[in-house]
Amino acid sequence: MESASIAPQAAPVTETGDKGLKKNAISYLSSIVIGVASTAPGYSLAATLGFVIAGVGLQSPAVLWVAFIPMLFIATSYFYMNKADPDCGTTFSWVTRAMGPSLGWLGGWAIIVADIIVMANLAQIAGLYSILLFSPSTDPDSVILLTTAIGVVWIVIMTAICTIGIELSARVQQFLLGAEVLTLTAFAVVALIRVYSGNALDTAVTPDISWFSPFAIDSTSALIGGVLLSVFIYWGWDSAVTVNEETEDSSSSPGKSAIVSTILLVLIYVIVSTAAIAFGGPDQLSDSDDVLSILGTQVFGSPLDKIIIIAVLTSAAASTQTTILPTARTSLSMARAKAMPAYFGKIHPRYLTPHVSTLWMGGLSILWYVGLTLVSTNILYDSLAALGLMIAFYYGITGFACVIFYRKDLFKSIKNFFFIGVAPTIGAVMLTAILIKSGVDLSDPANSESGTAWLGVGPPLIIAVGFMVMGLVLMIFWRAREPEFWRRRLETYDESIHGGAGAEEVVDNG
Amino acid sequence: MADELVVGYDGTDGSDAALDAAIPLAKDLGAPVLLVFGYMPPGQYVSENKDHIEAVREMGEKVTGEAAARVREAGVEVSVELVPEPSAEALADTAKARGARMILVGSYGERPITGAILGSTPHRLLHLSEVPVLVVRISD
Repeated sequence: MESASIAPQAAPVTETGDKGLKKNAISYLSSIVIGVASTAPGYSLAATLGFVIAGVGLQSPAVLWVAFIPMLFIATSYFYMNKADPDCGTTFSWVTRAMGPSLGWLGGWAIIVADIIVMANLAQIAGLYSILLFSPSTDPDSVILLTTAIGVVWIVIMTAICTIGIELSARVQQFLLGAEVLTLTAFAVVALIRVYSGNALDTAVTPDISWFSPFAIDSTSALIGGVLLSVFIYWGWDSAVTVNEETEDSSSSPGKSAIVSTILLVLIYVIVSTAAIAFGGPDQLSDSDDVLSILGTQVFGSPLDKIIIIAVLTSAAASTQTTILPTARTSLSMARAKAMPAYFGKIHPRYLTPHVSTLWMGGLSILWYVGLTLVSTNILYDSLAALGLMIAFYYGITGFACVIFYRKDLFKSIKNFFFIGVAPTIGAVMLTAILIKSGVDLSDPANSESGTAWLGVGPPLIIAVGFMVMGLVLMIFWRAREPEFWRRRLETYDESIHGGAGAEEVVDNG
Repeated sequence: MADELVVGYDGTDGSDAALDAAIPLAKDLGAPVLLVFGYMPPGQYVSENKDHIEAVREMGEKVTGEAAARVREAGVEVSVELVPEPSAEALADTAKARGARMILVGSYGERPITGAILGSTPHRLLHLSEVPVLVVRISD
């Protein structure tokens, strides 16, 4: 360690070797919890389940597991792209390298837009559940203004938290997230026991094996629409895969906790949705954005029903870490690549966060949320469908980017072939198919929640296409002003540049 | 190099207060100054953060470079270290490893609760550091 020079890597790291094993055991459990919780299952279910049920009714559990398949395949591309280039621009950075600056730029734009849209949903759920916590019998339609006001306060608080960079200690976080998972499980168990013992609602239905079969859905459009919505509930899971691999000690079996948390997550979604539908019957839950609070009261009774509301609120708060933060980092990454004004790349000297990006994200979310509420409250569903289109787009191109980026390494081993070739391709093709099919379906105004037509087309498609056109215009404008980023050359995986563990195989640990 | 005065420097008013106190102290003691900047940003649950860390590091390089010039002008020997750790850990670990004489950090004079929410570096440092810590309150 030379005193006169700047030595960035010279930080002394105190190793506590004997603590290694214990630490590893804890990190295994905690990475399972983080893996499950980074998708915010409570909030995701609260926001989505009612609309999925509206589309496919009793087959909602089937849709929830089917939607996981493309996500699983795309997650492998995330994992291996992150290995070569752990850039916070993710899709933006990776697609730029593999498929060129323009597509990369649009991918980054889609991430930012998706975040702004989801913030409105997040705020809506948080606002509504905050009210329900104190006044459980409130009719959501009677408190729209109050819900919006509380929702805006939520966005402000969450933006402030991300700007200042406040972090709960890992242990507190794990406790909260673990409690959320336990609450959901308790809800499902109690609801199912009451269904089978005949103590559920009059509208209750006994679960049937056909609930889990996607083939029992008679309309392909309904299935695809449901999958598009459900893609959203697995959103965020991909980053858990990468984190998992990092927190895990390399000597233990890497990826094991990722697999366990994945199975747990799918099980939670399938079982909770089954329990909810069985207990309440599909008609009562259809189109509702407070499924869990209605059922929580009926399943647990007062005051225990509060725990499910608290779980959803905790979940909404937790998901900010997996939405605002990565998105602010996307614009930071784009700014540093000169794909956006340098202004967005500013770092706060005291908090070390990309505060300009974060504050813009919060401001635009509030603008979008309030604007949306003023136009129509029914549009919440429509914006969720639009969000699904955005996610399908940028996940899809990430899958293709992985195959293209690693194309010279695909045939070096069978593992390579499947993990960085076949899996990402299947995932990308599935998501592209969903994107196209939904795009066509959603162009019919009858398939939207608001039932209205904007320019003769359904609102979800207009929202999605509108944002992409806006992105295109901004991109062309910025390219004319600052062409440097667009001179970038395409890259493929090169071990000497992108690292790797020195093995000839890219995939070393399944 | 032993006997260094480690100064936590990130370009904020608080760190300037620490530096202002360190320069005359270093002259009196005939000790060199080591500026330390910890550049690990918060939010490490998400792993795709190379760019963020680089951006923070670049900012640190810039502000410590300017501060180092200031110290040198005052006739005090100075060096800089950028450490990939959160600021409190960076200061405590570096000071210990280098056998430094003491650590100087600035404080905003926040109430404990505000400091707890904002993540007060001096507060954390007092618990972490095995090297004596001098906390310099920013002037109102």
